[in-house]
Amino acid sequence: MSEPHWDVIVIGGGVVGCAITRRFALAGAKTLLLERGRDILSGASKANSAILHTGFDAPPGSLEVSCMQAGYREYLEIHSRLNLPVLKTAALVIAWNEEQLSQLDGIVSKAHENGVADVQQISGLALHKREPGLSTKALGAVEVPHEYVIDPWSAPLAYLKQAVSVGAGYRFGTEVKSGAFDGEYWHLNAIDPDAEGKRYTGRIVINCTGTNGDNIEQICRKPNFEIRPRKGQFLVFDKSANSLINSIILPVPTPTTKGVVLTKTIFGNLLLGPTAEEQEDRNTARVERKMLDELVAAGTEMLPDLTNHEVTATYAGLRPATQFKDYQISAEPRKNWIGVNGIRSTGLTAALGIAAHVEKLCGETYSGTANFGQAPDPDWPVMPMLAEHELRAYQKGDGTEIICHCERVTRGEIEAALNDKSLPACDLGGLRRRTRVMMGRCNGFYCSARVNELTRGKISPPVVGRGEVRS
Amino acid sequence: MSSFDFDVAIVGSGPAGIAAATALSNAGVENIVVYEREATVGGIPQHTHHPSFGLRVFKRPMSGPKFIAALRRRCPKVRFETNTTITALRRGGELELASTSGLHNIRARHIILATGARETPRHGRLVSGLRPQGVTTTGALQQLIYTANQRPFTKPIIVGTELVSFSALWTLRHAEIKPLAMIEAGARISAYRPSTLLARAMGVPIHYNCEITDIAGRDTLSQITVCSQDSDVRTMACDGLIFTGSFIGENTIAMGSHLNLNAPNRIPQVDQNWITSDPGVSAIGNAIHPADTGDKCYLEGSNAGAYVAQLLAGKTTVNATFAEIRQGEGIKMTTPSILRDEPKGPSKFDLSFHVTKVFRGRVRVRRGGQIMHEKAISCLPTRRITLRNIRLQADMPIEVSLNSSRE
Repeated sequence: MSEPHWDVIVIGGGVVGCAITRRFALAGAKTLLLERGRDILSGASKANSAILHTGFDAPPGSLEVSCMQAGYREYLEIHSRLNLPVLKTAALVIAWNEEQLSQLDGIVSKAHENGVADVQQISGLALHKREPGLSTKALGAVEVPHEYVIDPWSAPLAYLKQAVSVGAGYRFGTEVKSGAFDGEYWHLNAIDPDAEGKRYTGRIVINCTGTNGDNIEQICRKPNFEIRPRKGQFLVFDKSANSLINSIILPVPTPTTKGVVLTKTIFGNLLLGPTAEEQEDRNTARVERKMLDELVAAGTEMLPDLTNHEVTATYAGLRPATQFKDYQISAEPRKNWIGVNGIRSTGLTAALGIAAHVEKLCGETYSGTANFGQAPDPDWPVMPMLAEHELRAYQKGDGTEIICHCERVTRGEIEAALNDKSLPACDLGGLRRRTRVMMGRCNGFYCSARVNELTRGKISPPVVGRGEVRS
Repeated sequence: MSSFDFDVAIVGSGPAGIAAATALSNAGVENIVVYEREATVGGIPQHTHHPSFGLRVFKRPMSGPKFIAALRRRCPKVRFETNTTITALRRGGELELASTSGLHNIRARHIILATGARETPRHGRLVSGLRPQGVTTTGALQQLIYTANQRPFTKPIIVGTELVSFSALWTLRHAEIKPLAMIEAGARISAYRPSTLLARAMGVPIHYNCEITDIAGRDTLSQITVCSQDSDVRTMACDGLIFTGSFIGENTIAMGSHLNLNAPNRIPQVDQNWITSDPGVSAIGNAIHPADTGDKCYLEGSNAGAYVAQLLAGKTTVNATFAEIRQGEGIKMTTPSILRDEPKGPSKFDLSFHVTKVFRGRVRVRRGGQIMHEKAISCLPTRRITLRNIRLQADMPIEVSLNSSRE
């Protein structure tokens, strides 16, 4: 089958790529998303802390803070139409010693400089009243009333679904290897999982490849940055630990790291992390016992009761950091190429804002080319609700039984994700992110055989083992 | 007219739950319901097809499904509701249930939690490595092989040497799979030594003093790295990794309720008659002492059910006050974990506990600081130790502690 000519080709199906695909598709551009993984969110975007940041502590005047704040606003505008949840927790930046206590002032003024006017310092007394579970070592805090928690997987999925509903295309398992610009069109050469060559043609290419950003950038130009992957390991505690905190617990940042965060997840768990470890490997992120033990120790020091709660998951992700603090977003004049790089841990918040920024940059740089068709009437896909504080399918009763008992996922939800018309789950990770199945405390002890049966022939590789049936 | 829907609602249809229902039914209690969240009655034994059940209850070895079927024949009048998950337990005997039609509430004069146990999986053990497919538990393996008739692996590795680890071995054998090895962190197996016979018969080596330091494979498991006590590092190519044992009580309902929990393990506190801090709620079976055999859970469930029948008939009452049984260093959990005086005075009871590591020495039971019982013991973790016929007044805290013989 021959591929059509696209207006815009987005490389990389992380949260940023999905948001950009949505933005251009809604603007009327024939847009294609290419992703090397079997599903969106196969790279950096699958592992983050899922916080919707106000940008209170971002560098003032940076592109990052303006994208974060634009993204934050747009998310709150559109989330209910897409049935995406928001958990309004607020955040507290905690001072654990006198030195940090003296830094709180500066955090407040930086927040005010960033336009987050409701940020204020609260006393140790007020802090412990709000957070009775915190160690008494906490001396005081800065309160950020509008830091929230969101669903880090349903949001990008909704962005791409909305794009697809107005005509965007996507190809998974497609890794871009090279490309050439003929003055009007980019011709990208990619390989599929069987190493078969594919060619995609489009007027404008947008590079959103995260930890692979500098390599892909080479297709068009010599990048003026270098990706330095930073690994973050996380621990997820069982839902029993969720009520140990009320707000997101942030540390006072040091010049090098934002530090270890304790936050509720939208799914009703408690998340602890990340670590910040530079590494060479761009593709794999191992969890390491020693670091996990250190995280548990750090978490327990902040929240003593944490020690009595079960860990249900451990994971590690890679943030596509560069040598620069700010995002590296630029358009190459006359080459119809926009690089969207160095989107660090704030990408989930900033994605919609980055998309708006990129659209504007595109229009300004390529005013002749960036005239797309008429903007379509947007369709608003209704996402399955996975948030613990909202009404879930099992509570409403969808006529099917619960399959995953830890996360209370019904057979109906699993089947809907597998049989979805526009973006079905095609691997276990994709199914887990779409439904929460097997994400709970038992890691599949109870349900993996049932899930294996429900997904047979629909996901690859199979849930457990080789999927071979004994005769 | 009572506002109760049931006399007794039992949560969980494993051996303990069925036993309680049977005892209640035999005692003349008629309006009993047993809720089961799975599609079939029976709990874990329903997926365990090798003959490791029945010896105590029926005096002969039986497979799990046959054991459950035989148990059910003893309580023909009891109503079982499957595909029904309990989502909340509230004061006043209220349960919130999720069935295929959504949530609704019921009330029962007495509630019995018999929610069972599960193994600690990979993530709960904080094992290093990637997260490939192919890492599982015995529970999942049994369902895959016995219930779904699969042959999931060709060269798996079993982690652990508890009784259930050999159950995993037996399960693999059923699918004609010979595992590469069993891996044990300690210096000897956790189960009774004769269990090794099965491993030996199958030609499966057991590696002692070994810890997994890496799990590799991007999509599917490719190999693990194992480090021994003397820092010998070796990699083993494998396509399945089965974490066995380290059972945890499945106490999600209790944790989200008003019941008192034991601080370190979050197991609901129960007295000598399996009554929790709420006199209208019992907790029994492997949820409170993970994990014993199905037969032991059945026998316990019978006793707990008989006690509830007496309670409902007004033949006995539950004391409002209780004493905590505190566990000293090295003790994982005690059953009971609280003590109530009976209407006639101090109760005579059996005190069971598990230790956290191999122990040889004396166990002491103190009441208000004074030693009331003392016994020389020698025990391994995952085994249940029982001190029989203890009589103590529940008027001050009780402490169970270990004193190593060297002292």
